[in-house]
Amino acid sequence: MSFFGFDTSLPNQGKGAGREKRTATPDKPLDFDETYQGLGEYENEEDDYLNNETFGNATDLGTDFDFGYGNGEINNGAVPTAAQVDHGRSYASAATTGPAVTNTGYAAAAPHSMDEGMDFTPMESLWTNQPMMMHHPQQPQHPQVLSMEELERQQQQQQVGVSHGQQQAYMGMPPMPPMGYGYAPQAFMPQAQVMPGAAYPSAPQGMPPQGLALPPQGMPPQSMPPPGMAPPQYQQHTLAMQQQPGAHQQAAHLAPSVVSPLAQQELQQSPHLVQKAAHPASAAVSDFATPSPPHLINSKSAQGQPRLGSPSQMAPSSQDSRESTPRGTRRGSMRKHQEPLSQDDFKRLQVRQAKVDKILRHSGVMTPRDKDFITRYQLSQIVTDDPYNEDFYFQVYKIIQRGGIVGESNKGLIARAYLEHSGHRLGGRYKRADVALQRMQSQVEKAVTVAKERPQKNRENFDGAKEGVLGKISSAKNSKAPRRQLQIPQQRDEDEDISSSAIEDVVESLNGVDISSSSRARRRSSYAFRSVDQRAVLSRSGGRKFVLSLIETVYAEVLDLEALLRSGKETDSTHLWESLHIADDAYEVSPFISILSFDKGVKIMPRIFNFLSKEQKLKLLYCFFSELSHLNIIVTSSYKTNPDPSDSQLKKIELFQSVFLKIIVSFLSSSAEFLEVLGLLLALVKNNNVSFISTSKIGLNLVTVLISRAALIKQDVSRGSVLSTVEASSWNEIYDKLFTALETKLAAVFPPEEYTSRVVVTSSNGTPTSATVGQSSGHQFYDQSYIWQFLASLALSGKLNHQRVIIDEIREEIFGTISRAEQLVKNVPAEEQQIALYQRDKLYQDLNLFLNVMGLVARDGEISELK
Amino acid sequence: MLFFSFFKTLVDQEVTVELKNDIELKGTLKSVDQFLNLKLDNISCSNESKYPHLSSVRNIFIRGSTVRYVYLNKNMVDTNLLQDAARREAMSARK
Repeated sequence: MSFFGFDTSLPNQGKGAGREKRTATPDKPLDFDETYQGLGEYENEEDDYLNNETFGNATDLGTDFDFGYGNGEINNGAVPTAAQVDHGRSYASAATTGPAVTNTGYAAAAPHSMDEGMDFTPMESLWTNQPMMMHHPQQPQHPQVLSMEELERQQQQQQVGVSHGQQQAYMGMPPMPPMGYGYAPQAFMPQAQVMPGAAYPSAPQGMPPQGLALPPQGMPPQSMPPPGMAPPQYQQHTLAMQQQPGAHQQAAHLAPSVVSPLAQQELQQSPHLVQKAAHPASAAVSDFATPSPPHLINSKSAQGQPRLGSPSQMAPSSQDSRESTPRGTRRGSMRKHQEPLSQDDFKRLQVRQAKVDKILRHSGVMTPRDKDFITRYQLSQIVTDDPYNEDFYFQVYKIIQRGGIVGESNKGLIARAYLEHSGHRLGGRYKRADVALQRMQSQVEKAVTVAKERPQKNRENFDGAKEGVLGKISSAKNSKAPRRQLQIPQQRDEDEDISSSAIEDVVESLNGVDISSSSRARRRSSYAFRSVDQRAVLSRSGGRKFVLSLIETVYAEVLDLEALLRSGKETDSTHLWESLHIADDAYEVSPFISILSFDKGVKIMPRIFNFLSKEQKLKLLYCFFSELSHLNIIVTSSYKTNPDPSDSQLKKIELFQSVFLKIIVSFLSSSAEFLEVLGLLLALVKNNNVSFISTSKIGLNLVTVLISRAALIKQDVSRGSVLSTVEASSWNEIYDKLFTALETKLAAVFPPEEYTSRVVVTSSNGTPTSATVGQSSGHQFYDQSYIWQFLASLALSGKLNHQRVIIDEIREEIFGTISRAEQLVKNVPAEEQQIALYQRDKLYQDLNLFLNVMGLVARDGEISELK
Repeated sequence: MLFFSFFKTLVDQEVTVELKNDIELKGTLKSVDQFLNLKLDNISCSNESKYPHLSSVRNIFIRGSTVRYVYLNKNMVDTNLLQDAARREAMSARK
């Protein structure tokens, strides 16, 4: 049986403690106790005779060349030899001999050992020195006393006794300040590791890398967190050394190892596995400390061996070392310098050590790559490649706030915020905050990529691979899909689909039918209709739910179109137009009119108008004016149907005026032709009860808008080209129709006293609206300017006989207004004079709007001709 | 993402956060993440006599799950935009 043919299956004689423990299943992380075969504890090795074959019998074994089998027999034989061979090499002697012996370098000794020890002397030297680093001043007792240890101790005592005075020579250096020795312990460790490996070929597997990474840990056996981590041999040797008389003196040499963890850890600033760092360190030190080639080889083989082990053994063991090293290092090093260092130094070191320990406690657990990976995935949760879609509010809000200028890029902001968050804003060791920011920005970039790769809308599978990257996210709710208060069954959607597809069928069948004719066929005209009951109107246009869902559809279409617009794509308003249901004849009242019953329906109108073509807008307005009587807002704002308007109704009126009326005015004044305005006016007159509409503020406003626009175009045209006879005659015809509808009811446009006072009370209690005017909130009065505007525009377009009719009908109102204005000034106390004067002026101002059209002016209680 | 997006616009604004243990903290919102964890600066506690331990705290990191309310100024919110954003969110959820 040769060295490499050594039977790796366990020898039968095994009865060491380590062997007995070896019962763990192979799946479990490797533990020394499990892997160590206990070979060092054999009392007797029957195959010893093979040693010659393995190592060559020319080798002259020293004391130290005991691979753990050591018993009296071997020891006795070996010790004297070692004394001779190893002279001038023992580490241990350094303390006793002092610097004086410095000259005997290891370099010098090495050739010597080569000569004598042949091929295996390096091993021998390793063995000799290995225990040295294990010294500990304070180790009076070993936790477990084994018979084997005693044997070892004996051996060590002999050996060390002999080798005193050689220690210095081994290092080839005088005792040095701590730093100089910084790596020494590590350098030795591999050697120590080699020994068992070399001696028992089966051992390498049982000696996973942790041995390499744990140099200081092995020193005080108590400090070893996992009991099985340090090979028992270490303990034995340590014990042996401790019991030597001269052991305490060796502390001077151990001082380096106090510092060594520091040095070692500083080297690993980029925190890799301690183990990894240990490799280069040990390699470097072995180079530095030992010029002798064999020595070098050994330390290398020490590193190499663990790698020979199967991966399954490697992985867990390296993990072990990662976990245990910092702690073990710390404790071990803390103890060692107690004696050698002065009190001050010791304290300083202790403080420093404590700090470093704190910092390094968990440092190196993750590599920078690991950290980057985590950062990237964390960031991927808060970045998006489609900010306008997923981060809509923030994006648009910022644009609105900055007045359309896009400020710092979103990614920059995120990077900055995240740096703040993670406390890296200082830029780490080199205070390179800019570098840190740059790095983070690139991380954000990458995170965007990650976000892109993220499974699209993993709402169905919450357990997506990266869903819980940032910690546990319960599957029911997370930031992406918060728990919903209402769980609406999806079934409903299908129902709606069916109904809306049915509607589409109807729409299709009605396609091509002229709007006006079809609306006439449906009798949409609303002469008879005067109900405040909004539900009745809604039910006639498909029901409240239907209308509300329509509004949402419209919103969705508009949002889609706006998104297209933002991304600079072509917009197609077909879908939007369809969703408005303007040309939809399936209902008695057009759903579009009902859409306007809701505030949100009114509010969306300006945005709808952005996308409609002129033709579509015209159609929309045509529909609107045709069915004006159904319009909720008309009903609400008419004193006849709603004599006691509430605050919220007044607000609604206000909203409608400021939003929809504005659109109509701007559309009419910017793009409507004369005939188109006439067409709208005709639709209004023909299909509605004009006298009813004129009792409402909104209705009156709308009529005013139409006729004043027509009048303006007419004047413009007459100044430029001549109005065609057809246009002129149709205008006259329509005006006559309108006037006829209003005749005898013109006085009805003035709301009664009770109504106006109620409006004043309501609006002064609630939010002031434009329904009232006044200098202070306490002195509001009903604003009648809209009525006088209407009368003025009506009179402006009419002929003299029309004007005469108007004046006849509203004569009382004219004089009533004048007398009211005069009364105001007369009856008020002096302190309210100012307010009364303003009010009087306002009344005259409004009245004169109308009177001026006919060349009259009211002033100081009298009507005179305008000069 | 809507609330996250929304709270991002409040960064550097002063808000009052009421926690589920009734502590009310007023401070400048420094940052917010997707869990709606909040980081406040220059905090002051509205009931300092009851929670004296907070009087020496300048900035604080609040776990999002412990927040009951965040009080805002009315002008910090663009309600129309928020409506749009909510609709967009609902739309993308439906798709």
